[in-house]
Amino acid sequence: MYALFQRIQQRSKKESAFVIGSPALIWQVIFFYLPLLLMMVSSIFILSEEGGIQGVTLKNFIPLFSSTHLTVIFSSIFLAFSTSLLCLVIAYPLAHFIAFKAGKYKTLMLFFLIVPFWTNFLLHVYAWFFVLEREGFLNTLLKKMGLIQEPIHFLNSIFAIILMMVYCYLPFMVLPIFSTLERFDRRFLEVSDDLGDSWLETFKKVMLPMTLPAVRAGFFLVFIPSFGEFIIPELMGGDKTYFVGNVVSQYVLGNETGELGAAFMVLSCLALVVAVMFIYFAFRKVSRMLLRGLQ
Amino acid sequence: MTKSQDEGVILNKINLTIPSGEFFALLGPSGCGKTTLLRLIAGFETPDSGVIYLGNTDITHIPVNKRKINIVFQNYALFPHLNVFNNVAYSLVIQKISKEEIEQRVIKILKAFHLENHIFKFPSQLSGGQQQRVALARAIINEPEVLLLDEPLAALDFKLREKMLIELIELQDKLKTTFVYVTHDQFEALTVADQMAIMNQEGDIEQIGTPQEIYEFPVSSFVAKFVGTTNILTGTLHNIDTDPEIDISHLGKFKVYIPQKKGWMFDGCTAALSMRPEKIYISKKPVENFTNTIKGEVSQIVYHGRSTQYNVIVNNQFKLQVFEQNEEHFPHEDIDYDDEVYLCWQKENALLLEN
Repeated sequence: MYALFQRIQQRSKKESAFVIGSPALIWQVIFFYLPLLLMMVSSIFILSEEGGIQGVTLKNFIPLFSSTHLTVIFSSIFLAFSTSLLCLVIAYPLAHFIAFKAGKYKTLMLFFLIVPFWTNFLLHVYAWFFVLEREGFLNTLLKKMGLIQEPIHFLNSIFAIILMMVYCYLPFMVLPIFSTLERFDRRFLEVSDDLGDSWLETFKKVMLPMTLPAVRAGFFLVFIPSFGEFIIPELMGGDKTYFVGNVVSQYVLGNETGELGAAFMVLSCLALVVAVMFIYFAFRKVSRMLLRGLQ
Repeated sequence: MTKSQDEGVILNKINLTIPSGEFFALLGPSGCGKTTLLRLIAGFETPDSGVIYLGNTDITHIPVNKRKINIVFQNYALFPHLNVFNNVAYSLVIQKISKEEIEQRVIKILKAFHLENHIFKFPSQLSGGQQQRVALARAIINEPEVLLLDEPLAALDFKLREKMLIELIELQDKLKTTFVYVTHDQFEALTVADQMAIMNQEGDIEQIGTPQEIYEFPVSSFVAKFVGTTNILTGTLHNIDTDPEIDISHLGKFKVYIPQKKGWMFDGCTAALSMRPEKIYISKKPVENFTNTIKGEVSQIVYHGRSTQYNVIVNNQFKLQVFEQNEEHFPHEDIDYDDEVYLCWQKENALLLEN
């Protein structure tokens, strides 16, 4: 062990970084890139019973260009985007509050943010069932307040899905924004104030542009897993709504539809890449818009 | 501009008038509340009681962004996501001034600050001195009535600091804007200030005056010790009205000079005698024509280049500092460790302070 350590030290910085990083890299290759490659391969190659390659084909993709499949992809993008956007709207003020206003309760509030992660995911879902069901907390509350006569059907709807998604993914948005805001030097705000700017303009021209990279990171952290999420739609949406994750899992686990699942996964991956690129450029555009007026 | 406020324990009923159009330095030890005072003037904080006037206008409750006062922070706080041009243009853009005029004014000021080759650079690509100049340009481009500087040179090395001090003086001369310069560094304050105020640890102002007044005639031993170095000896005063002298126990009697009798002086009262090290003459032979002489032993010699510092022990218990200007390559006498020396001074060059 010591000899290894010495060898690492002797190597140049670049090489030692490689040595230290290689276990993670090997893990990544074996459990992530290889399966991905296998999926891609099985989506375009015709395989014999023994596993030999007999030819290349795109026939698995043809049935996917139907309105049902494309709708699934678009509704997944819609779900991921609305989840991310809602998370952002909630997370930014929340992170701002924890970073600037919470004072000595900062650690406590972060603790409460993380605490749901410590309990089983299914428990969260059942807890939300109790809140959302016909005779549940929310309906009872609304009834008592006289806002509704008949209970509203909350469960098995897009509303329930998005609610659960936002609930689960919120910390991924809060944490990067919080860590950037915490390091944010308040003197930037004071300088802007001192130079004559209003607080809204200061937020637009100073705080938001400087925290935008964190917002973008949070956005992707929520968007990308939301796109492929299939447990939450399955549990909260009943069997009404289909998203990419559900379709892939159904095809892959189903009889004789493995290649179709692989092809659908490849297609949805492509759609995801396009969506992510689109969001990336949207962020660039936003950052330019915020600084409009400056040259 | 008059103000007096009571800011908890930080500032204790301060009443300070900063003359307009002058370079005013606020000097005090760390934590004396000078930065708080600056933040009050800028408007980042409001006084618990008291009023702040700018000219004849009460600005105590005018928000920061409406005050014609700008500040340069110690770490400059240049916007890292904006280039030099946009940093400097920031306050002009807010005012919806035409693009052409903004460009003209920004380029003009950047040229004056020798930054014309760095217009499109970002703050992280600039050196400390350049960042400092960008921060200055950003603060003065909008022609404030008062420019506040919060230890603006603290992050620079000594040579650059000296250069920037001179640039600041020239800038103030040209603009005639009131500069308020906060620092804990007496060298900086003495260099730049037309007038300066000395604050003590309790947040009170001890003395206001020109650098020369403060250095040569400090009103208290705190000021004498804080600005420059000094030797303080305490003793009892005698013969105030005829031939005043101070009796320092274990050391003897020394002639003192009282140009004007102060309220606290009476025969037999205790007083502190403050002697600047450079005002004491050191020699191995007794020297005539000095009103006071004392004998001691050299315990330490520190060579500073332009001067040499001798630490002299007198009567085995008093340690006095003496600075000797190195006017020639070699000193007029070779003074070495443990040499017996005579320290001489004129009574007019030592100062009596209330103990």
